[in-house]
Amino acid sequence: MAHILVVEDEQPISDLITMNLKLVGHTYSKAYSGSEVAGMLEQERTDLILLDVMLPGLDGFAVMQQIAHLQIPVILITAKHALADRIKGFELGAEDYIIKPFEMLELLARINVVLRRNEQAVPAFVCGGVEVRFAERQVKVDSQAVDLTAREFELLEVLIRNRNIALSREKLLELAWGYDFAGDTRTVDVHIRQLRKKLGWEERIRTVFKLGYRLEVEV
Amino acid sequence: MRFWHKNLLAVLILFIAALDISVIMVMKKSWQLNMDSETRRAASEQTLIANNIFENLDSIRARGNTLTPVLLASVAQSYGDYYRNQGIGLELRENGRLIYPNTGSGQADGSEGQSAQTIRLSMPLPAPYQAMELTYSRDISGLYAQQQELNRFFVMINWIAGPVLALLLYLLIRRLTKPLKQLSETTRTIAGGDYSNRIELRSRDEFGELAVHFNRMAAAVEQRMTELSDMAGEKQRMVDNLAHELRTPLTSMQGFAEFLTSANIGKEEQIKAGHYILSETVRLKNLAFKLLDLSILRHQPLELSEVEVSALFEAVRQTEELKLKESGIPLEIDSSIPAVRGDADLLASFLVNLIENAVHASRPGSPIRLLAYEQNGEAVLEVRDCGSGMTAEQSKRAFEPFYRADPARSRLYGNAGLGLSLCRQIAEAHQARVELESVPGQGTGIRLILQLPNNLASYSITSRD
Repeated sequence: MAHILVVEDEQPISDLITMNLKLVGHTYSKAYSGSEVAGMLEQERTDLILLDVMLPGLDGFAVMQQIAHLQIPVILITAKHALADRIKGFELGAEDYIIKPFEMLELLARINVVLRRNEQAVPAFVCGGVEVRFAERQVKVDSQAVDLTAREFELLEVLIRNRNIALSREKLLELAWGYDFAGDTRTVDVHIRQLRKKLGWEERIRTVFKLGYRLEVEV
Repeated sequence: MRFWHKNLLAVLILFIAALDISVIMVMKKSWQLNMDSETRRAASEQTLIANNIFENLDSIRARGNTLTPVLLASVAQSYGDYYRNQGIGLELRENGRLIYPNTGSGQADGSEGQSAQTIRLSMPLPAPYQAMELTYSRDISGLYAQQQELNRFFVMINWIAGPVLALLLYLLIRRLTKPLKQLSETTRTIAGGDYSNRIELRSRDEFGELAVHFNRMAAAVEQRMTELSDMAGEKQRMVDNLAHELRTPLTSMQGFAEFLTSANIGKEEQIKAGHYILSETVRLKNLAFKLLDLSILRHQPLELSEVEVSALFEAVRQTEELKLKESGIPLEIDSSIPAVRGDADLLASFLVNLIENAVHASRPGSPIRLLAYEQNGEAVLEVRDCGSGMTAEQSKRAFEPFYRADPARSRLYGNAGLGLSLCRQIAEAHQARVELESVPGQGTGIRLILQLPNNLASYSITSRD
């Protein structure tokens, strides 16, 4: 997956973000002040920056100006939701804007959107004998192509992008079927059963009591 | 119609009317005087002629001659010829019958004499010739011509004076009403939002006075506006800060709770997440209680009593003992007054907050001084450090809620920037003043200026406030 630089001065929030990034397979670096950012970007290849606006030293907007020439996508994270701030952020070239408090799933979804838009997303996901090619929308089990319906593939992609995180049936409906899908949560169960059978993932896709489903992959 | 238009028109009309009326009256009077003197002259001349004729007739009669009409006519003729050269016509009638002039030309003269431009007087000759009547007519066309000339001149003067007057009036009124224009323009810019604009007017008349008052008003408005916008700015910052203070722990709490419930994680990470939820909850709780304290202080009147300084300082020292020892900072206590008036718990809270700030600003080994002394009849409690100090801008905003002079906004010490805010509230509840004095790099001193106990003089002053 991608390498992400998390710039956040609040230790708890920085840890929260990085622990979740680690879960879904991203690698990360941490910076606690704006002035460190430029130096860290020089040292390692970075696919995405999660940038807090209120930072000691150099604030987020100043950091954006400083690193604009590197053309690394930036998602701003802030407690400020004033329109003027959002506009300023976008004008400086931010890809997206997330306001505290945010849900982790939302943050991960936005990270994926930005990564995909910038073609930094890893083209394939391999786990055990299963290989998923996102661009071609192909799935192979032990090098044998498996036929998935469009909806099953969407569901698989959602599970992989949010792996190690339990997703409720409602959340899965929302993410894989879309907000306006007027369906039953049992639809999810049916599709999950199909996926398990086709990929041989009876153990990997776990049913989490009272919560939903979780794709479990070694971190 | 603009004010100066009205002014100009009114003054112009009034002036020309007044001028014309007075000139016309003067001319009329002069005409009358001329006529009177002309008439008087005519009358006296007539009397003279009548007397001369009378004497002639008398002497003719004395010589024994009878007065035939021919003789009478010749006598009249001798006078008539003489006076005709002076523009005076004479007629002599006897019992209404014209004796002289008896020629056609004489009649023509007579008819001319009938015109308006002659003075015509008739009188009988003195007795015994009263049957005879002498008519005297004097040509005054010269007088009329003179009057006409005057009239022409008057009209001409009117034509010239009117425009000249209008021009002068225009210049004068423009000049006089210029301050009005200036006032109006400045008012417009101020109404447009430029409160710093002032009227530059140095005259001493009513306009100058108005300008002075206006400027005073503008200054007051500007000051009020600045205050309002400052206040609005402070409120906005407070709301922003409060949002930040609330959102940050909430984000962590929500995130880690989500993480705990839904993520596929090991024991170690579970403990870490739980720990964060706990510490952020404590942080939120502290913030809520501080805000509550502030709110209570704002709404509850205070019972002031005598507070012993030594006990107060001892309580404060005990509270801060551990923190001071950890940071390696000595606390120097010096008190020269036995007691102050106030609320013991709040005063202790005030001093503890200041000492905590001072500890964060100080390097290990640099002392903090806790002082109590009298100054100008008032009690002063002071906390002074030799730490990093603050700039003027930082000092100005130091008492704002959530403001941290520390630009890093780091929460290393776990405070939310409400300490000095609380101190300000405590001072206000005591009706006391807080003074802050800070030099970057040299340290900060904060003084609370209170009443001395049983100090009736100072008590009455503050209670009058």
